[in-house]
Amino acid sequence: MTMHTTAMSPILEKEAFCRQILQHQDAMFRTAKAILRNDQDAEDAVQEAICAAYTARATLREMDKCKPWLLRILANRCYDMYRKRKQTVDLAQVQEILPAGETDPTEGLALWQAVMALDDTLRAPVTLFYYDGLSVREISEILGISQPAVKTRLSRGRERLRRMLREE
Amino acid sequence: MDRFDEELRARAQKEPFPVPEDLAGRVQRTFDTLEEADLPMKRRHRPYRWAGWAAAVLAVFVAVPNASPAAAAALADVPVLGTIVEIVTFRDYAYDDGQSHAAVTVPELSGSDAADEVSDQVQAYTDQLIEQFQADREAAGEGHVGLDVSSTVVTDSDTWFTLRIDAVETQGGAMNLSRLYHIDKATGEVVTLSGLFQADADYVGVLSAEVARQMEEKMAQDSSVVYFTDGFTAIDPEQDFYWDEDGDLVLVFGEYTLAPGYMGMQEFVIPQDVYSDMLA
Repeated sequence: MTMHTTAMSPILEKEAFCRQILQHQDAMFRTAKAILRNDQDAEDAVQEAICAAYTARATLREMDKCKPWLLRILANRCYDMYRKRKQTVDLAQVQEILPAGETDPTEGLALWQAVMALDDTLRAPVTLFYYDGLSVREISEILGISQPAVKTRLSRGRERLRRMLREE
Repeated sequence: MDRFDEELRARAQKEPFPVPEDLAGRVQRTFDTLEEADLPMKRRHRPYRWAGWAAAVLAVFVAVPNASPAAAAALADVPVLGTIVEIVTFRDYAYDDGQSHAAVTVPELSGSDAADEVSDQVQAYTDQLIEQFQADREAAGEGHVGLDVSSTVVTDSDTWFTLRIDAVETQGGAMNLSRLYHIDKATGEVVTLSGLFQADADYVGVLSAEVARQMEEKMAQDSSVVYFTDGFTAIDPEQDFYWDEDGDLVLVFGEYTLAPGYMGMQEFVIPQDVYSDMLA
């Protein structure tokens, strides 16, 4: 293992750390929602990830990697929460994810609703790729899965979105 | 990217994304709970700085393969050191220019071919770390770069010798690296993980399955524990290891390989009944 040699960052002071979070809070919420599907859980995960990232901020080695670094910590919190509540999905959550009711039907299915209707394993890669413009390698690091697995999931997600959005 | 990809990216940017109204407030309240100086990274090292006048000296450079027979003798007095493996001296490397620092102390072994071999390996490894440190220091400009390397004799019995080299590379964050070197004193051979097992044994598969099982178990027991279980497929055939005080096999994993960086290096104790059938 070697150290990176570009754009190294000093340890973030609180103010600079908070600025980074403000810049990425929407992306953090979106990623958490993609994994957990539930607003309340997603907000909990964002809050926990902010605390974990602050504690671990000495491990942020390059400032231009701040977003994937934050999202990786967040994804780990989400998976943790996801595992815990796996057996206890309640009806309110199920209703929240149903792609209905929120938008004017004449406008067709919103992209985000289509994304939310994807399988568990597809939502996060699709969100990080299309909404956040992250690379396959970055997504692989954030989600802790191999690059071929990211590509497979993106390809499956793309096909399902194509069907859902074209069939609307 | 095909056209549909582009269409999806465009829609992702254009369509409003439903962020809950209270998210911003919640984030702000979380900021309020963060302590200014809260940085409990146990292994964080800040390079020390020369005070006042010393900082004006452009570069104070000391690089000495420094014989420390006194220190070696002190260690040799410890009865665990056998005849096959002796620590004859310590090799030191020190650097400090007021901005970056390195402090490397590793033993030189002698007494047998195996001891010489390990000594050469340790030297090659530390040379590589020092070379990287120099390259990083030059590339870092105003930033600080640090390297600390130390060693521990983990085991020295009549039959076995294990030397552990721990390195901490500092640059922004701290990166911990460890390597372990083993000598089977009964055979006089330098041993790596594959050498512990019968040639046809699927020790990689068996130990990997046990590590995967323990990761799941630890995560189930403690919610603060996070492993990259999806990304883990197998251990390295020459994964670092040592024998603990109970004689159990302990596998050592570098930072970031199994878990997020904030969890540090990871060690897994493998119960003997998992691998005893496969031992050479």
